[in-house]
Amino acid sequence: MNQTEDARPVVRLRKIHKSFDTNHVLRGIDLTVGQGQHVVIFGPSGSGKSTLLRTTNLLETPDSGSVWFDGKEYGPGIEGEDLPRGKARLLRQEIGMVFQQFNLFPHITALDNVALALRRVRRVKRDQAEHRAATYLDRVGLLDKLGAFPSQLSGGQQQRVAIARSLVMEPKVMLFDEPTSALDPELVGEVLAVMRDLAESGMTMVVVTHEMGFAREAGDLNIFMDEGVVVETGGRELYDHAREPRTRAFLQAIL
Amino acid sequence: MKSLLVIPVLAQARFRPEFIWENRDVFLGGVRLTVFIAIVAFALATVFGLGVALLRMSKNRLLAPIMAAYINIFRAIPLLVFVVFVYYGIAIQFDVRISAIQAGILVLTLQYSAWLGEIFRGGIQAVDDGQTQAALSVGMSRPQTFFRVVLPQAIRIVIPPTGNMFIGMIKDSSLVFIIGVPELFRVSSVMANRTFRYFEVYLGAVLFYLILTTAAYFGVKYIEKRFALVDVLTTRVRSPLARRRGIRLRMIQEAVASEREAKSSETGTAM
Repeated sequence: MNQTEDARPVVRLRKIHKSFDTNHVLRGIDLTVGQGQHVVIFGPSGSGKSTLLRTTNLLETPDSGSVWFDGKEYGPGIEGEDLPRGKARLLRQEIGMVFQQFNLFPHITALDNVALALRRVRRVKRDQAEHRAATYLDRVGLLDKLGAFPSQLSGGQQQRVAIARSLVMEPKVMLFDEPTSALDPELVGEVLAVMRDLAESGMTMVVVTHEMGFAREAGDLNIFMDEGVVVETGGRELYDHAREPRTRAFLQAIL
Repeated sequence: MKSLLVIPVLAQARFRPEFIWENRDVFLGGVRLTVFIAIVAFALATVFGLGVALLRMSKNRLLAPIMAAYINIFRAIPLLVFVVFVYYGIAIQFDVRISAIQAGILVLTLQYSAWLGEIFRGGIQAVDDGQTQAALSVGMSRPQTFFRVVLPQAIRIVIPPTGNMFIGMIKDSSLVFIIGVPELFRVSSVMANRTFRYFEVYLGAVLFYLILTTAAYFGVKYIEKRFALVDVLTTRVRSPLARRRGIRLRMIQEAVASEREAKSSETGTAM
């Protein structure tokens, strides 16, 4: 719904390269994400899609390449260019991330999980931070679980807390790294529902997922990756009318 | 010849358990010093041990291997030998003015820092890397991530083995008797040699050590319980602090719920 061809870019990745030892995981990726756009990245495991997502907020530092965000360049940069580099920490404060394994902090309550960064990063006073955190927990339907510890929550509930933990920072972009892959099938729906709400609210999202139903419905820009390169990108039609044989073969295998 | 005749007579002397009670002040003096040495050395070793663990895990090319060597060396020297070496060897050779108590605490601290360093390293490394990533992803700094997210989880992991080490410290503190520190074992052996009441005196020492280590054991159990995670909203809690927290959380809940209702009646739609 939010796709417009000339949407103002929010994040732009340029010439991203990343190797782990001899394994060249990302081989020169370029990607521009527009304001309010919902980008879906899919592809076989080992194709580099998670690594790409993680270089976007510099959880993974690329070997070379640049991440442009909100007028500033981050990351190591591109050879020959000499642009000032921003601090990764500041970039991460503006970009939220949801992990496959939730990664909630197990030693503090759901409320504290959400309030922690508000207090320590944004320096919001405790009362205010907790109130705001509770508001976001309410938004993902977990107001009754404020005092619960992650171990007392189901996988779906944990992932919703994790989404609230990111949203409370009011990020300009949300990254989702296979957010439903670790969930029991009956718990996938509740998480996708929250993500759908978020998409409808106009949040800019980049989602790595195997949930093709969600991808078809929410993906404005769909990217098929294989062996460290973007093989094909397209709009909604990509899922039914892929041009590249590799894309078609992959879609056929999983649908 | 005379003394040789005396000893068997003494060995058959009537067992007088009340002897321990009568000399309780002597024992308690030793207990006091034992507790002092154990607590001071353990507190220092905890701080240094954390430093050792952090430096050992650091990417510092100079300090990381030095710490690894430190751990290996200080774990490998028998404590008793080390105490003697420091107090009679190093201190005299280099004319370092150090009291026996200070030397004892120093040696216990050095050795326990190595042991605790390894325990702490294990605890810190046992915290999933996803925790660090999640903390960084919301914009926390490295130190914030360590102190707010990793360390609190590592502490829970290391409480039981660290408690073991503290009990070990109480027992090992007896080894500084060799340099004349009047702790529990030292005062006991002096008393035994003076009164020839070997059985009573050492029985007393055993009992006092048992009391100390048992107290430490219950202390560790209490700490473990204090660190347990309890949902104050759904569990009946006894501590006043937890109860206050429960009331606060309930107030937040109500405030947010009523705000939501006010908003939805305003726009006429639910969220």
